[in-house]
Amino acid sequence: MANYFNTLPLREKLNQLGVCDFMDSSEFLDGVSAVKGKKLVIVGCGAQGLNQGLNLRDSGLDVSYTLRKEAIENKRDSWKNATENNFAVGTYEELIPNADVVVNLTPDKQHTSVVTSIMPLMKEGATLMYSHGFNIVEEGMQIRKDLTVIMVAPKCPGSEVRAEYVRGFGVPTLIAVHPENDPQGKGLAQAKAYCVGTGGHKAGVLKSSFVAEVKSDLMGEQTILCGLLQTGSILSFDKMIEKGIDAGYASKLVQYGVEVITEALKQGGITAMMDRLNNIAKIKAFEVSEELKTIMRPLFQKHQDDIMSGEFSRIMMEDWANGDKNLLAWRAETGETAFEKTPAGDVKIGDQEYFDNYTLMVAFVRAGVELAFETMVDAGIKPESAYYESLHETPLIANTIARKKLFEMNRVISDTAEYGCYLFDQACKPLLSDFMKKVDTDLVGKNFNEGKDGAVDNRALIAVNDALRSHQVEVVGAELRKAMTAMKSIKTV
Amino acid sequence: MSEPLVHIQNLTLQYQSKVVLKDLNWVINHGENWLLSGASGSGKTSLAKIIAGLQPSIGTVKINFNTQSNLPAKALYVESWYQFKNVEGVANFYYQQRYTSQQTKDILTVNAELMAYGKENNLDFSEVEILLNAFGFSALKNSQLIELSSGEHKKLQLVKALWLKPHLLIIDQPYTGLDAASRQNLNNLLDEVTKFGVQLILICSDAQIELPKSINHFAEIKETQFVELNSRQMMSVLPERPMRELPNFLKIPPPYSSDTIVKMIDINISYGEKQVLKNINWHVKAGEKWLLQGPNGSGKSTLLSLINGDHPQSYANTLYLFGNKRGSGESIWDIKQHIGLISPEFHWYFDASSTVWQSIASGLYDTVGLFQTLPYSKSAQVDELIEFFGLTENKNELLSTLPLGKQRLVLLARTIIKNPELLILDEPCQGLDQSQTTYFNHLVDELCSNGVTLIYVGHFESALPECLEKRIVLENGEIKSVGTLLESCITEEEILIN
Repeated sequence: MANYFNTLPLREKLNQLGVCDFMDSSEFLDGVSAVKGKKLVIVGCGAQGLNQGLNLRDSGLDVSYTLRKEAIENKRDSWKNATENNFAVGTYEELIPNADVVVNLTPDKQHTSVVTSIMPLMKEGATLMYSHGFNIVEEGMQIRKDLTVIMVAPKCPGSEVRAEYVRGFGVPTLIAVHPENDPQGKGLAQAKAYCVGTGGHKAGVLKSSFVAEVKSDLMGEQTILCGLLQTGSILSFDKMIEKGIDAGYASKLVQYGVEVITEALKQGGITAMMDRLNNIAKIKAFEVSEELKTIMRPLFQKHQDDIMSGEFSRIMMEDWANGDKNLLAWRAETGETAFEKTPAGDVKIGDQEYFDNYTLMVAFVRAGVELAFETMVDAGIKPESAYYESLHETPLIANTIARKKLFEMNRVISDTAEYGCYLFDQACKPLLSDFMKKVDTDLVGKNFNEGKDGAVDNRALIAVNDALRSHQVEVVGAELRKAMTAMKSIKTV
Repeated sequence: MSEPLVHIQNLTLQYQSKVVLKDLNWVINHGENWLLSGASGSGKTSLAKIIAGLQPSIGTVKINFNTQSNLPAKALYVESWYQFKNVEGVANFYYQQRYTSQQTKDILTVNAELMAYGKENNLDFSEVEILLNAFGFSALKNSQLIELSSGEHKKLQLVKALWLKPHLLIIDQPYTGLDAASRQNLNNLLDEVTKFGVQLILICSDAQIELPKSINHFAEIKETQFVELNSRQMMSVLPERPMRELPNFLKIPPPYSSDTIVKMIDINISYGEKQVLKNINWHVKAGEKWLLQGPNGSGKSTLLSLINGDHPQSYANTLYLFGNKRGSGESIWDIKQHIGLISPEFHWYFDASSTVWQSIASGLYDTVGLFQTLPYSKSAQVDELIEFFGLTENKNELLSTLPLGKQRLVLLARTIIKNPELLILDEPCQGLDQSQTTYFNHLVDELCSNGVTLIYVGHFESALPECLEKRIVLENGEIKSVGTLLESCITEEEILIN
């Protein structure tokens, strides 16, 4: 199988990268009718599979699950999830031949084997749905020409998909139709209807393409979302220990700080996050993040280049074939860091203290979000797509760190994200070693404002505020966030 | 020992521009156990939290624990509601999540929770068994916290508090959601711990409810002041709220789409080995007024969740709602549009970041939080209902900033805003003071005169609306009795159970 993207002429590459349409709610007035009465068969019953299925059934649709024979015979968790909630469960042979829409919600790594086994069983003219385009775009999976191939990707963990649905709302969702597989032209109508069935149409839907989704998703997850949060957390913790800050305090500050800080990001973008700092701290965080952007820009560009050329997926699939040798080594290394091994202390840290005593992380987040966004846009990805894969997802990942630190984050995210995260982290730490030598406890561990006169120069402050507010990620973000303001916050502290 | 246990001087508490407590003084001497009452919103909960050190205030609060005693030197406050967290510290659960079976075991079991608590506080594990038995909780030891009902969560908090035996134990609304037998057991256990030197402050405004014998001092908060009472009988009688005329749009009979509102045929619900509903057959016809009763954990909430479209297992049962078979292609929103529902759990999980106006308006769309713009005619009805409930001055305030009793009134208004065919009122008056309860029951009677169908859950001794005419009683997941309210003979045994 050849990398699909690389088979395209430049014109078509740009064309598919540029599919990006923030859909008006009037596009969903037909509700679920395009899939009503059709047989929806979901492959896999993990967190996404179960929760999407519960929503679809509660929207009046016909949902059942198909699992591998061993999962059924051994009554694995996926089998229990489905049967205990009264869904019909069957093997591929039993359910796929009658399915109108087969929904593939298995992990990326299994896609080739799953799709290879189900495709011959699918009936003529049926639809195959993905929630991530890696298999189609990077692995170049060829789908039978009579089948329609669509994507519906809720941009939240499965539990949120369910929680928002039952209260009458939804989560932001990305939909796409594969241009090589839309023989009857029904792909978009079905993707929209499926999206309504999960409740996604109420929180903002972005029409994208398989290509744009993959190239932006990979970029976001390995740089700002997972990679930089991991690097920043480890470096911050180590710095505090080096400077004699109490280890329990340092551990707590790092574990929960990123969640508290990025909650402001979710509500009001970089601007709201930076506005939580005092003026002097804000100017300092701005300067530090400018420096970080200069240092890290080449690394961000390298990641984007390798993603575009297919080099990234090539080496990752090589590692898959090699029994995950690199992945497992890096995972073990992450589990052994001092941050991971130091439990959070039993100290109370107030909401504002997370900003004042962890200004360094604010600078990391601003630098990472803006860099990832700029690099994606420079590579031909549209700003709306870039927003979803940078700023929008940062608080969601931060929440996994607050739950159980980095090891947990890497367990929860997809296998491609985990691999990319380590790759970034390995390269970023040495890159920042000179920078970190200059960092002291005023930026991380102690209150930045302590012992300082809070006065600032008017013009300096105005210039900083202007630079922050006029950045394209802020302009696009303000528009997109309007559609999702009603989402509840996820909170650990 | 001459120093009092609690000495409060000139305590003042202001919430935004409103003075809640002003120059309050209160002395609690050793050996005293207090009952604190007051109208909804009078500041009882705030005062309790201040004493427990959970909320700041102006003035001095001195606590002198007896250094001779070996009880934990602690003022423990037990909230009237409790939000648990999963093992990762996340408290983001959603309404009715407990009915969905999920294999991710990231929520503690009752047993694990108690083990952790006992270890943290160095407690004797043999004692907790006695407490669990007293509350009929032993069977729930292996349940995950999320599977517990609101009443069961309450009991778990009480078990933990009684096990710890803190020097000062403050319990906010100890009896809400508890059945009669559990209340009696609680009172005995409270009396028991006072013998070890635990001192009590119980916050409760219900003048009828039976208290532990050890309660020997009474007080109430009245217009920002602390007033000590000679006896419980001196508790202020709240003025009855004048009934206003029902808005016209609520006088119109609901448009029934079918004569059959609910029809259950041999309903069975179980989680793994545990069966929570057994062979339930029940028929609710349009316009009927039902009272649903049963002890804590008898299956009442599960039964109602089937009607409200909230239970995943309803797809595998024979159930007709509003004339249609469940699972025949309808969405849960098709079902909910016929129903106005309120329950303690619904309140618990409601979106606290909505304003009063938005909360009520969201009832038109059955959503938790408002995501739509209302047409003028509807928004005028919301205003009218807000006026009717006397909430106009609160209409732009966040729901979470109001006292619990008022929040409950707001959610009641949300329940009726669309003039639904079926009203499900599951302990609607929990958290209301007496004048609010009387007012609300009158209101239900008046609303019901337009022919709405009603299912009302209420414990026996609490005040009930007069319009109720039929009764169904559950016990251990089975129907114990069903018939008209007049026929059903109330035996001593039943009073005890309920």
